[in-house]
Amino acid sequence: MADKAPSLTPFVKKTKIWKSVFRHDFTDTPRTRLQRIFGNVFLHLHPVRIAKDAIRVTYTWGLGGISFYLFLVLIVTGILLMFYYRPASSLAYQDMKDLSFAVTLGQLLRNMHRWAAHLMVVTVIFHMLRVFLTGAYKPPREYNWVVGVLLLVMTLFLSYTGYLLPWDQLALWAVTVGAQMAANSPMLGNEGPFRLPFITTSNDARFGLIGGTMIGDATLIRFYVLHCIAVPFIFSVFLCVHLWRVRKDSFSKQTGEKVDVWPHLVSREFLAALLVTVILFVWSMVLNAPLEAQANLNVTPNPSKAPWYFLGLQELLVYFDPWIAGVVLPTIIIIGLMAIPYVDTNPKGVGSWAKMRWRRVGPIPVWSAEERPFAVSVFMLGITMWFVLIFIGTYCRGPNWEWYWPWEAWSHRRIAKMTLKNIPNLWGSLLVGSYFLLGSPVPQKVKAMLSAKAGPQAPARASAALHVGLGLLISAALFVPLLISPDADYPSRSRYTTLFEALGRCRNAPVVSTMYALVQQLGPAAGYALIAVMIGLVGLLLGWAGMRFAKLKDRLYEELGLIKYSVVISLLLMMMGVLGKIVLRLAFGIKYLISLPMFNFNI
Amino acid sequence: MQADLWRRLDERFGRRQFLLKSGWACFWIFLGGWLLSNLRYLFPNVLYEPTLSFKAGKPADYPLGISEKWKKTQRAWIIRTDQGFYCFWARCTHLGCTPNWFDAENRFKCPCHGSNFNRSGDVIAGPAPKPLWRCAIKLADDGQLLVDKARLENRPGPREQGDFFLPYTRA
Repeated sequence: MADKAPSLTPFVKKTKIWKSVFRHDFTDTPRTRLQRIFGNVFLHLHPVRIAKDAIRVTYTWGLGGISFYLFLVLIVTGILLMFYYRPASSLAYQDMKDLSFAVTLGQLLRNMHRWAAHLMVVTVIFHMLRVFLTGAYKPPREYNWVVGVLLLVMTLFLSYTGYLLPWDQLALWAVTVGAQMAANSPMLGNEGPFRLPFITTSNDARFGLIGGTMIGDATLIRFYVLHCIAVPFIFSVFLCVHLWRVRKDSFSKQTGEKVDVWPHLVSREFLAALLVTVILFVWSMVLNAPLEAQANLNVTPNPSKAPWYFLGLQELLVYFDPWIAGVVLPTIIIIGLMAIPYVDTNPKGVGSWAKMRWRRVGPIPVWSAEERPFAVSVFMLGITMWFVLIFIGTYCRGPNWEWYWPWEAWSHRRIAKMTLKNIPNLWGSLLVGSYFLLGSPVPQKVKAMLSAKAGPQAPARASAALHVGLGLLISAALFVPLLISPDADYPSRSRYTTLFEALGRCRNAPVVSTMYALVQQLGPAAGYALIAVMIGLVGLLLGWAGMRFAKLKDRLYEELGLIKYSVVISLLLMMMGVLGKIVLRLAFGIKYLISLPMFNFNI
Repeated sequence: MQADLWRRLDERFGRRQFLLKSGWACFWIFLGGWLLSNLRYLFPNVLYEPTLSFKAGKPADYPLGISEKWKKTQRAWIIRTDQGFYCFWARCTHLGCTPNWFDAENRFKCPCHGSNFNRSGDVIAGPAPKPLWRCAIKLADDGQLLVDKARLENRPGPREQGDFFLPYTRA
């Protein structure tokens, strides 16, 4: 046997210095597995042992951990970028060019920072989806879901403040729009509704956000500080709470034998981080982060599009008054998301992915979750809608924000005279009012009273009358004004005298122009008769749909009680209402249903 | 009952509690006041922004119609009709983008959210809530047009008279 080569290791490990740093040895024994976790400040966020099923990749897909890792990547690349970037409007763009072309590895770092930010938005959204679909927000984890929603909002706000910094056209116009939304906020915005008497352009919310009356150096330094220091600081505080709560409440999955976190979970985390790093490197080497022309306040790019994750919001702004689409709806969405764990009283479905199966609702086969069909359907509908809006904003909007199909070529000189008309306010209020009344349930007490008074069939008949009545009312309140109301935009001097004529002759209201063509082709009598039948059918369809949901509504009402039910049903109706308004705009050429310009109330 | 209430009030806010309560009150008032006062800190008192008025040359240099001459540098359109001049601030009333003028369609269109305005600045399509802003316009002493973007008007009526319309009929 040859002599063992003299090794330094045993000697080094005996020194006082080594022992003062590493307090245990690293042989793989049950004891050191535990010591590695609780003897290390970075790892001790983990428990030492964990349920085996909870760390299966297909349960969490590691999405929360990956988001955290991306946050770390963003901090590191961000710190490095700060060495070259100067936040002044005359220098910022030049520094971006320097980073791209003159600084060694500058382009790669910038790409990584940008793509990691995009990836983080994706992983955070998917993390939220995963938590929802595995029921992981249910008690005792309600508050952590709320913190998670705040972190999502902050992730988006970090992205928003980040893309001003290159001081290119995208930056400038995104911030112009965002700042203008602040000016449209109620009470505190100079152009918003219910403006307080002392608010002017030089002390409103927009002024505070951009540090002046026009976007310039003051804005840039503000967003720089928000992006690099203020928001990351608050983000980290909430992140600590978020992670600490996960540790305290443990994972939602509690089944299976327990295994040691070192090496079982730590190795998975390491592999996930490795994979993300590889993806990020390849992505950053293949694709450069966009940098448009230098910011110019006097030239707006056409079309001017926000980054993809804000295009849903940008598309939403088309359909409503800015303070509604830009301030009220996002607030409702955020509060609605936060409210989910408090209004979802269904204790089932925690700790496993929602099991989906086919079942029939009337004649329609529906793919829904077995244990919590309502919650999963509504949430997925909301998420889908948001991504549909993003899709429309990304692929269906061209120059002048006009509608182009994805396969159509854009033309800056396309003659497309959009015609949009308001429905008279009284009809619009009737429409919106009856729509929201569709959400009213028939409580058990009322049912009992009805059957006591008028026989066992009475509740069913009352429900049918309510829903069909409201359906017909909605249909009538939509079509009747379209047919008979005078066109308010062209008082008396135009040959287009009714909304029907104005919208029927234009090219952006397919439904109304089809109706108009029908009347032209078949003659007034047959045409209007056909339209009347159609109005009736639409009303009946709406009524039938309402009746299909009647049983569900009543059950929800009994289960949730008045307050929770009102929250749930208003959120649901508002979500569907946004969808309805989009359809009305795109297919009927209706600008606003209710328009009160003195309150900037246009929906 | 009355005595009981009095006793409970005394327990909470009575003489024994006075110093402690006032101490805490001072603490919270100071902390809250200081934090709130920092909000005011975010609103600057002195702005270093360029002046909003500019001279736009001799009126005779403008042909009838919409001049885009000043859009790039001053963000304004000057419109000459057979009665005279008015001037638009080239800023969409929806969310502040700069619209483009399309001669063939006789309308301004905004690239950000698709608002359309006609020649008088009224909204004819899209989400904009208000007509385009008109700037004050007058003849300066040297015979040039003087536009002031700090004074704006968009109400039908007032916007077609006074400072916001410059009668001018010479060739």
